[in-house]
Amino acid sequence: MTTDTKASWHRNLFEHRSALFAVAMTVAISIGGIVEIVPMYTLAAKADTLAGVTPYTPLELAGRDIYVSEGCYNCHSQMVRPFRDETLRYGAWSRADEYQFDRPFQLGSRRIGPDVHRLGGKYPDAWHWEHMRDPRSTSPGSIMPPYPWLYEKTYDVEDIQASMKAMQTLGVPYSDQDIASAGENIQAQAAAIVANVGATGATAKGDEQVVALIAYMQRLGVDGRAALEAEAKAGGQ
Amino acid sequence: MSTDTPALDSSPAIASEAHGAVNYDDAIVKKFIIATLVFGVVGMLVGVILALQLAWWPANLGLEWTTFGRLRPLHTNAVIFAFTGNFIFAGIYYSTQRLLKVRMFNDVLSAIHFWGWQIIIVAAALSLPMGLTQGKEYAELIWPIDIAITLIWVVFAINFFGTIAVRRVKHLYVAIWFYMSMVLTIAVLHIVNSLALPATLTRSYPVYAGLTDALVQWWYGHNAVGFLLTTPILGLMYYFLPKSVNRPVFSYRLSIIHFWALIFLYIWAGPHHLLYSALPDWAQTLGMVFSVMLIAPSWGGMLNGLLTLRGAWDRLRTDPIVKFWVVAVSFYGMSTFEGPMMSIRAVNALSHYTDWTIGHVHSGALGWVGMSAFAMLYWLVPVVWKTRLHSESLATAHFWIATTGIVLYVVAMWSSGITQGLMWRAIDDAGQLAYPSFVDTVLELMPFYWIRLVGGTMYLGGMLVGCWNIFMTARGASASAASAPAAFAK
Amino acid sequence: MSNDALQDQVLGHADEADGIEEYDNRLPRWWVGLFLFCVAWSPVYAVHYHFVGGRSQAGEWQQEMDAAAIRWPQPTAEQVAGLTVTPEVLTEGEAIYKTNCIACHGPTLEGGIGPSLVDDVWIHGNSREQILGVVTNGVTEKGMPPWGPILGPEKAFKVAAFVHDLGTGQP
Repeated sequence: MTTDTKASWHRNLFEHRSALFAVAMTVAISIGGIVEIVPMYTLAAKADTLAGVTPYTPLELAGRDIYVSEGCYNCHSQMVRPFRDETLRYGAWSRADEYQFDRPFQLGSRRIGPDVHRLGGKYPDAWHWEHMRDPRSTSPGSIMPPYPWLYEKTYDVEDIQASMKAMQTLGVPYSDQDIASAGENIQAQAAAIVANVGATGATAKGDEQVVALIAYMQRLGVDGRAALEAEAKAGGQ
Repeated sequence: MSTDTPALDSSPAIASEAHGAVNYDDAIVKKFIIATLVFGVVGMLVGVILALQLAWWPANLGLEWTTFGRLRPLHTNAVIFAFTGNFIFAGIYYSTQRLLKVRMFNDVLSAIHFWGWQIIIVAAALSLPMGLTQGKEYAELIWPIDIAITLIWVVFAINFFGTIAVRRVKHLYVAIWFYMSMVLTIAVLHIVNSLALPATLTRSYPVYAGLTDALVQWWYGHNAVGFLLTTPILGLMYYFLPKSVNRPVFSYRLSIIHFWALIFLYIWAGPHHLLYSALPDWAQTLGMVFSVMLIAPSWGGMLNGLLTLRGAWDRLRTDPIVKFWVVAVSFYGMSTFEGPMMSIRAVNALSHYTDWTIGHVHSGALGWVGMSAFAMLYWLVPVVWKTRLHSESLATAHFWIATTGIVLYVVAMWSSGITQGLMWRAIDDAGQLAYPSFVDTVLELMPFYWIRLVGGTMYLGGMLVGCWNIFMTARGASASAASAPAAFAK
Repeated sequence: MSNDALQDQVLGHADEADGIEEYDNRLPRWWVGLFLFCVAWSPVYAVHYHFVGGRSQAGEWQQEMDAAAIRWPQPTAEQVAGLTVTPEVLTEGEAIYKTNCIACHGPTLEGGIGPSLVDDVWIHGNSREQILGVVTNGVTEKGMPPWGPILGPEKAFKVAAFVHDLGTGQP
């Protein structure tokens, strides 16, 4: 007993031809992704371009890997939205070009803590040093856990060089020279942080993971902010 | 023609024997059921620990492996891929064989799929607390595990489509359509989103950078919800709900329309996770309007579920399975209305980055996914173990504990999210931020975090009651099988 | 669009669906209406947003900023200069200090990451105007952020007055 209905076309066309059915489904689920993702490469879809955003230094790259590894993105966003309240709180809203060296992106989906995209330069190195050791010493009432192991574990220069090589393959403009001299570059940047931290009485050696993390935090949003300020100045003249 | 009630077997235990000629593989179904329960408890327990950490930060006990940042990916991965994954595999392996009147294509592939999937879960549970992650939400697992997922998924796909190829029915029932869309789409999403260049054995960098990476990730992330947490469970609903109530599905043509509309429209909606980011405005608009267009196709599934219950509403009072289905499908309808609302620019401006999002996903995960899982299990477990459910009253108790838990959870998160969203944007008389200190907006949420902890703990408690009930059911079955070996001998 | 005679008629496909029957009931009209409305609304919204309204998120941010500039005009230098220190101003200044400053300068202004504000050393000057200048513009090379954009001139004045009052013991 079969009732003919208007819907029987579907039965005749797809439901007994499983391969054709699967192909039709694949087409149906492909269109949206293609239409949205492909233009990111082909169209000049970006309304805003910012000059002067440069790749992370080796130490900052190591710090970024620690940021990803510790899952900071589960509580902190890196995306200042174009609302007056957000620009009052955090600084200039985030532009696309500022993320061009971010692999993986770390925009986040929940602000259990504040946005960090304009964190660079907001506090001194010593603040970060204290904050990661004991968040409540710098932010009373904070619910962030302390990260004591970042002061015991060290980063590894060869490991950072491996990351730089992968980034270079992906198109990040690191020269072979940049990679070869990563060690000296890291030492110099770490030494500056050690000195800044030391000014408040703390002793850092310079090879602690937290030093790399501080280097990354202090870089966040800095290039974009400088470019936007330069733009504003040029526009104001 | 009369509007006759179709002749269905009134006893589910007999239904499974109806096509006696086929030797169905129910051992694999049992394995997936056990894995569902084990990883469900683990995943939700981790969730409760995380809820405690937000209310009382020292709850990581000072250990690096238990910080929120490392455990939260374990919670999401465990609930999505371990609990939900095993639950839908259990239902698919059972129903696909019956609907196609044939045993699974290849028992070895079934075994590889099961054990491979469990090894992947264990690898995830070890690697994520160690801080080994790719840092993309719901795609955190490092590249060697990603490759393993791809291989196991291919094994599952061959087994599933192989079963379709050797089927003994001509036409494919609607449940199978939804399963097919999952197998195909998850493969595409997982492979494209995971493309990365390894730098070391445990670290890799995505081939996409910045906002392109974000767009690809949320195309993946949104559709992992769509094609792992939605379409396969709708397929399971189309099989297990009419089976449970012995009623015909409300409308075949509604199935067709909402199926095609759902899978076509869903894939576009990812950019609603990136509203007010630096993603181009046009892409944000696409994410928003396609989310709005998804309301009706989603509600088509809800309608076909609820209206199939016409004529069986009296059983809502007595049958825990019907209770679970009704709440599950209702939460599906609620979440699929709330989601498009939150995709509207003006609403998203308030809700994004707050606990409103957390409440939304949990009304979907606890309400739709979790309640569907137990609606299915309370019917399926007695069938595959060839016995009766140990206790209907325990199942009813589970239902009420879980439902109360969800309500507490979701209401707490709505309140928390709206409170914090309003505090962030509050401006004082002088035009400055009323709450310039971010911490002030966090401390305001503490009462909600404690209520959420109570709600989540209740849900976990209900689940433990369910596990006990199912364990006793299976144990009773093996005891009676031992006393009467001839009855169900294979 | 559908044949009412087919309401609640089973299709008779149950033998191919493990015994599950299906009706082919017509689609609820409100559901069809909802779907069509959403599908029609979407292009209308998109065209309106991008072409008719010419909207963009950057433009909306600018509008919001312009509206704020009219509603809360930046006080002129004379207006800020005209503010006077009263006990109320000092109390409000203390509250602002506690919210924003104690992380680096300590709960009793004794210093920590940032310098002490109660000793005799005033690196950048100890007049109220000089302190206000540091609060407003920051000393970014030393890590002191510019608080002017965050607090606004009035709150900056109040917190500077509080620091001046407590730190120097002079009104």
